[in-house]
Amino acid sequence: MSASRRNFIKGATAVGALGAFGYGYSHTANEMLKGLLGERQSADRISGNAPKPEFAVDPVTGHLTPNPEQTVAYTLCMGCTTICGVRVRVDNARNKVLRVTGNPYHVLSSDPFLPYETSVSDSFQALSRYQERGLVARSTACGRGNAVLEKLDAAQRVRVPLKRVGKRGSGQWAPISFEQLVEEVVAGGDLFGEGRVEGLQAIRDLETPIDPEQPEFGPKANQLAVMPAFKDGRLRFAARFAKQSFGTVNFAGHRSYCGLSMRAGYAALLGEWKKMPHLKPDFSNSEFLLFIGTAPASAGNPFKRQGQLLAKARSDGKLKYVVVDPVLTNSDNLSSGERSRWIPIKPGTDGALVMAMIRWILENDRYDAGFLSRPSAAAAAVAGEAGWSNASHLVIVQENHPERGKFLRAADVVAGNAEEIMVIDPASGQALPQGAVQEAVLFYEGSIKVPGGTEIAVKSSLALLRDEARGHTLQEYAEACGISVDTIIELADEFTSHGKRAAVDCHGGTMASNGFYNAYAIVMLNALVGNLNVKGGTGAGGGKFKEIAPGPRYNLKKFAGAVKPKGVGLGRNAPYEKSTEYKRKLAKGENPYPAKAPWYSLSPTMTSEFLPSALNEYPYPLKALILWSSNPLYGVAGLREQIKEKLADPKALPLIVSIDPFINESNAYADYIVPDSVLYESWGWASAWGAHLTKVSTARWPVVEPAQTKNAEGRPIDMETFFIAVAKRMGLPGFGDNAITDKDGKQYPLQSAEDFYLRAAANVAFDGRPVPDASDEDIALSGVTRIASTLQQTLKPDEWRKVAYVYARGGRFENGDRSYEGELLRHRYDKPMQIYDEHLATARHSLTGEYFVGTPTWVPPALADGSPLAAAFPPTEWPFQAVSTKSQLQSSHTIDAQSLRAIHPSNTIGLHRSDAERLGVRSGEAVRVTTPGGSVEAIAQVRSGIKRGVLGIEHGFGHRQLGASVQRIGKQVLPADGGAGNGVSINDLGFADPKRSGYCVLTDWVVGSVARQGLPAKIEKL
Amino acid sequence: MDKTKRNFLKGAAAAVLGPTSVGPAGWASAGERPRGSDSNRWAMVVDLRKCIGCQACTVACGMENAVPLGKFRTIVSNYEVELQDQVRSVVLPRLCNHCENPPCVPVCPVGATYQRNDGIVVVDNERCVGCGYCVQACPYDARFINPETQAADKCTFCVHRVEAGLLPACVETCVGGARIFGDLKDPDSTVSRLVAELPTKGLRPEMKTRPQVYYVGLDERFQSKVEGEPTLWRKEAIHGEFAQ
Repeated sequence: MSASRRNFIKGATAVGALGAFGYGYSHTANEMLKGLLGERQSADRISGNAPKPEFAVDPVTGHLTPNPEQTVAYTLCMGCTTICGVRVRVDNARNKVLRVTGNPYHVLSSDPFLPYETSVSDSFQALSRYQERGLVARSTACGRGNAVLEKLDAAQRVRVPLKRVGKRGSGQWAPISFEQLVEEVVAGGDLFGEGRVEGLQAIRDLETPIDPEQPEFGPKANQLAVMPAFKDGRLRFAARFAKQSFGTVNFAGHRSYCGLSMRAGYAALLGEWKKMPHLKPDFSNSEFLLFIGTAPASAGNPFKRQGQLLAKARSDGKLKYVVVDPVLTNSDNLSSGERSRWIPIKPGTDGALVMAMIRWILENDRYDAGFLSRPSAAAAAVAGEAGWSNASHLVIVQENHPERGKFLRAADVVAGNAEEIMVIDPASGQALPQGAVQEAVLFYEGSIKVPGGTEIAVKSSLALLRDEARGHTLQEYAEACGISVDTIIELADEFTSHGKRAAVDCHGGTMASNGFYNAYAIVMLNALVGNLNVKGGTGAGGGKFKEIAPGPRYNLKKFAGAVKPKGVGLGRNAPYEKSTEYKRKLAKGENPYPAKAPWYSLSPTMTSEFLPSALNEYPYPLKALILWSSNPLYGVAGLREQIKEKLADPKALPLIVSIDPFINESNAYADYIVPDSVLYESWGWASAWGAHLTKVSTARWPVVEPAQTKNAEGRPIDMETFFIAVAKRMGLPGFGDNAITDKDGKQYPLQSAEDFYLRAAANVAFDGRPVPDASDEDIALSGVTRIASTLQQTLKPDEWRKVAYVYARGGRFENGDRSYEGELLRHRYDKPMQIYDEHLATARHSLTGEYFVGTPTWVPPALADGSPLAAAFPPTEWPFQAVSTKSQLQSSHTIDAQSLRAIHPSNTIGLHRSDAERLGVRSGEAVRVTTPGGSVEAIAQVRSGIKRGVLGIEHGFGHRQLGASVQRIGKQVLPADGGAGNGVSINDLGFADPKRSGYCVLTDWVVGSVARQGLPAKIEKL
Repeated sequence: MDKTKRNFLKGAAAAVLGPTSVGPAGWASAGERPRGSDSNRWAMVVDLRKCIGCQACTVACGMENAVPLGKFRTIVSNYEVELQDQVRSVVLPRLCNHCENPPCVPVCPVGATYQRNDGIVVVDNERCVGCGYCVQACPYDARFINPETQAADKCTFCVHRVEAGLLPACVETCVGGARIFGDLKDPDSTVSRLVAELPTKGLRPEMKTRPQVYYVGLDERFQSKVEGEPTLWRKEAIHGEFAQ
């Protein structure tokens, strides 16, 4: 320390100058002493420790000067399920990611995004001040996307293969070699001194049935379940192993505890239950948008793109919008004035609001009759409509008719084109096949004569919807949802005042116990204004390029010996009526209903049921579980508290393997952990989830060297390395030599992740019109140099430079000028909108045996048998309802990003001012929230922006792992990270459905989506 | 240690100095430091209609500038406010206003804080003694003492990026496009056009600092203090003040 500094301190102290800081700035006195006494760490006198910029662009000439010490590479973000294209800035010498922002070629990160033919050099210039290009081509990451790079170096990261020592869940691990792990997992044996454990080799039996008496459960191989997270670009590789190679049916992601109610609502509307497509508004051209149970700009998927488009549309565009949600979020924006409006609603009552709107719209002739009355695609095309519906289609409503609930088809009435559906021709009043009528009668109720002289009672789809809407008065609906009749009419009026330039959307806010019908009702509004495939209306997305699917260069989907898994999965996603259980009961003369537990035949494979089903041994137990980057114990409301002890018992589920770079609430119970790559270290091919009007294929590729250890062959240990090693050890098809076939039938090995994903990249590059070859400059500037030799070694000579072109841009993207075709979207959904869904209406509830209503209807929050939730948990005892709200910062796995916690360290229990006053609670005080499933203690936050009687709990906090608890690897301690356990998780408040038995959670009574909205609750001050 | 600092320290030892009585000692001798060009006047427009409160700016700033965890050169304050019968969300991105009349500059006893010719107010961390006068003088709470550099710290408009022909980190990553950066001396710049075409307001006009961060859509009731409940919960922010 210099003499002068010392003198200053002396002097200052002597004259009492430090006392001058008594203005609430006491910290500065402390800092000042440090500043004067300590060692300074600063690289630059003005810019401190900011690293040098990644490149420079001359603001006058636009000339680009790269910084050779850094690389900017375009790859994929994994901060949430939106998976945006990002640019990652790397310090080359330290293999360290310095910062992450958006990829300017990528539709999820930029609006507008750069034309694909733009050179990498020009893409950098486009981000600069030169001609203010960076303000136009601005490409962003959200707060979370900026922060998650911290996960790469997190102290809690698992970098070596682990085997548990001591009891399952005890947090004690031993590091083992990758080869030992693979051998033990495959061969089994007395692995833990607790008795013999069956290995994967023994479990993979495609012949022996699990239960010969109940053959529908399929072979023993189904007793391995593999639970990935979501379509993160690597899912198809895991599916190749689990389904096609190992042969289990029990492979699925997180949909059933994420947004299944919304997906099912759209599936009914769009008549596609298998793929479950969904619509998103064309934000940029809409005049009025209604968001119910979704909060664009605060959450949703794609979070960032919706936020960006909403911000633009409400300021530069014509958009007005309303967000209906129990909790106020940043979807609303005061500065946008009357353009934006929040309407609070009671949880789980969206259906009441919307059925009231539908009633008003139908009774006041405010629907788009021009759209709805076209009974076929051809008739719609003649009328210039971009989509069509089944509003006029006739449904058999005759009780006890064998075809009740089905559409009246031509074959039912006359011989001829059997599949055509009958409609009423307005000119003749006769029923005619849909192809014979241009504009059909919308509301019809009557009888149709059929061969043999009898008559069948029929109604048109729209008449059936009107019947359901008329099930309650507007006043009754208003009381149910807590929104006045005037406001309901105002919304319905506004929604139907913009032609097709109005749209509605929903998402996770519908995850209540009655979520499916609420969601179907909400999305039905889109059909009533006929907005499908229209500018300013809705679209089903722009799609992607062929990567895994049989592509122009390689077939990565099919291989010799591929298994087609058979049998009923643990989610029981099959008709109960086909089960042995049903047939046995029937044979005994018993009422076959209820099933022992609900069967959700409408839904895709549901992982939320996997663990309860396996532990209940209904339909059958599991022998092994592989968790890959998934965390059902944190994500499924009510699951962890119920099963945590049982799951810790190896007898109940003998082998649990996890592939994950972190220890979370679920894989804390694993027997083995395989480390995995993190974020920008992985390979993969992803796409956008929605709200993209053009084709998107995002390249995920390692722009830094993975930090986990390598196996004996020198490959980084990750999901792909593990599955390849297991498959080869077991001699399974689809991996190893000759596993991949090209378009000419020539065979190639699958020995590494690169073997798979680089060939997928070749498919992308050659799909349609092949992309150009990458220039040397593209390769050098984009960091593709890192992988150039791998590209050359793996691919054919005419492929590698095209693949390099794709990686240099972070994927392949259709240009933005391909979004529209006049007033229509260019990528259009071609099936009809289902006012009435035949598939739904002909399915029965597995507990009651009743048929489901085929149109949207209002059903209050319910238990598994459809009975009212409020009857079992009366409001007199449970006066509050807890809801999960989405965070603009946290997703389920980002609590270890410290930058996010620095901004917002904990969630709270949000409650309304009037409720707080009654309870004598002030913001910052401790409260206890109790539901039928448990209780949590948390900080109260008194709010005006929440519906009375609602407790709002932001998701992403309340972790028990991911740094909240200490884990020990040999002698090494993965430390608890102060703050990772902050706050509470609403999923600790979920509970077992009293109408079910065994381990179970509250779900939607139709499709089984896990209920996290509207949990009955009480709150007390501590 | 440079001469200015030495001169100041002598003075400091000789007298009791309150924050308001400290003058720009030795200001004239700061010639060797980067001063920018007087043909530019860098400024920011923040269009609040486009802010979604995602905190991308906050995190990007921290990453770009290696700001120690828990300290912020910029942050988006987030409130809910009751207006008549409505409850509304308010977002307010905050940063150094690079004032035309910066109150932080004259109080600096060692001339470490100065305004460049292009308007950017910076801190010379070699000269700064960390006394915190500027921290206290800033009406926007935009400054803090950086525990690593042990100097007063604040937004520099990412001057190291601006001089490389790039944009500030917060602007580059602003999801809604709310942050617009540019040169007010260039009449064709976006900021010049926006300031000319749209009604804009600055924070705390009563301080007469002439802030160069221009807000679009700032409700005048909230120009000096937001009467509302902070929604992005932090213990420190619970009382609804501007404090970071």
